[in-house]
Amino acid sequence: MKIMNSPGEQQVEITDKIPGVSRRRFFQLAGGIAGAGVLMTACRPRSGPTNIYLGAGDTALLNFLYVLNQIEAAFYTQAVATPYYGADHKELLALSDLRDQEIAHREFFKKILGNSAVTTIQPDFSTVTFADRTSTLTSGAKIEDIVISGLIGASGLFTNSDYGLAFSKMVSVEARHSAYCRDVLNPNTLSDNTVTDVNGLGQSISPSAVLAAAGTYSHTLFDSSRLPN
Amino acid sequence: MDFRNILHEIEKTDPEVYEKLSPRRSVLKSFGAKVAVAALPFAIGSLFKKAYGKTTTTTVIDVLNFALEREYFEYAFYRTANNTGGLIPAGDLPGFKIIESHELAHINFLNTTITALGGTPYTPNHFSDPTTEGFYVPSAYDFTKAGIYQTFDDYPTFLVIASTFEDLGIRAHNGQFQYLLGNPVFVQAQQMVATEGRHASFVRLIRRLPPISAMEIPAPWINNNIPPTPALQSYYLGEDNTKQLNNIVITSLPGLTGNIPELSATAAFDEPLDKTTVLSLLSPFILP
Repeated sequence: MKIMNSPGEQQVEITDKIPGVSRRRFFQLAGGIAGAGVLMTACRPRSGPTNIYLGAGDTALLNFLYVLNQIEAAFYTQAVATPYYGADHKELLALSDLRDQEIAHREFFKKILGNSAVTTIQPDFSTVTFADRTSTLTSGAKIEDIVISGLIGASGLFTNSDYGLAFSKMVSVEARHSAYCRDVLNPNTLSDNTVTDVNGLGQSISPSAVLAAAGTYSHTLFDSSRLPN
Repeated sequence: MDFRNILHEIEKTDPEVYEKLSPRRSVLKSFGAKVAVAALPFAIGSLFKKAYGKTTTTTVIDVLNFALEREYFEYAFYRTANNTGGLIPAGDLPGFKIIESHELAHINFLNTTITALGGTPYTPNHFSDPTTEGFYVPSAYDFTKAGIYQTFDDYPTFLVIASTFEDLGIRAHNGQFQYLLGNPVFVQAQQMVATEGRHASFVRLIRRLPPISAMEIPAPWINNNIPPTPALQSYYLGEDNTKQLNNIVITSLPGLTGNIPELSATAAFDEPLDKTTVLSLLSPFILP
């Protein structure tokens, strides 16, 4: 099942990217010419699908986490809108709480990014059957596990250490979410060796690898050429 | 005592002290004159913590040893519970065994890491060189808090205590990250807290579902600062913080309809707790 965004939304960032020229290089070029505002406008691409550029450095990492949390928020929004069969009152309560927590994360990143935020992505939940409890909760756990490894993987890469600290408060929360989806479906499955190693440590995965894994849940493609790893 | 003299003394061995404390050197040099005397010790403490606390190996080892101290505590707690006949129902035991194995893995990991960094690993009171019992030191603790809680005699009570310990453990981790910035251990500590998050969720879900069906319908996460029982409120103080990254108010951000509800805005972040507070909350369960 897919969630369609309002038409045109995705175009915003696409038109902001010049094919074949990285954004940084473009601004270096443009910046070299005083008063080149007219030129910049003139250089905008005509058309054509392009990957959304995440930016560089901390901006790229923030957009990376923003994208992950967009996927999570969209997932639970759909799960609440079309709840699986057999969801009792407590499970419905949990789903809407999960939705609102992920919206909180999403909006938090959007707020931090300001004008640097990428556009709203188009999620791809074609692998999920939202009417089915097993499918929904299994997918929820998978998405949560991807986000946990991404949060941790990104944590040490920020130039501004305030970010690494602020987002560390979300790691255990996403872990709570994952364990919930796992346990409520199959008791005692809070963790296994795919998410916790022999030292009892959760996974830390590089942002690019996490983005690739998250690609299953996004129609929108990304230019992560300057995403720190 | 003159704060300016202290800085002058440090300057003799570290000429960059002013720059480390603040790029606004002149402000610091007139510090003593401008800050109220009562606030001075606090201000000085945080200044030095900022400048030196993050990079010294000693502090990283302190943080790891503090984590090790809590892991010994948790391992003793779960191993005792898992071996107390009639306490944990068979249906829940596999999950608690997983948790116990994680706590032991954390002890081993921390011991190895601390030793590798040249530190001396923490050991609890009554610890003797492990032979048969490994790192299991139950005699260091009284998990009943001198008989107040029937921790190992009553399953619902055990779950309340376990939830509280797990949530506190997460807050303790989160309170220490600031001292690990720039060190590889920073990432590993987050890997550890991810595992603790799973534990907390597991225990809380059991309390939420039948046959326990706890009165406050606990979520697997912490909504506002709601404790499992009012007597344990002190473990949850500050959990209802809604400001993140200095001053972004989460409850003022747009939600699905209206703004983000407070219950979810607070649950979306596990709040840090400083070492002194954490130790004061654990100490009633630790034997001299």
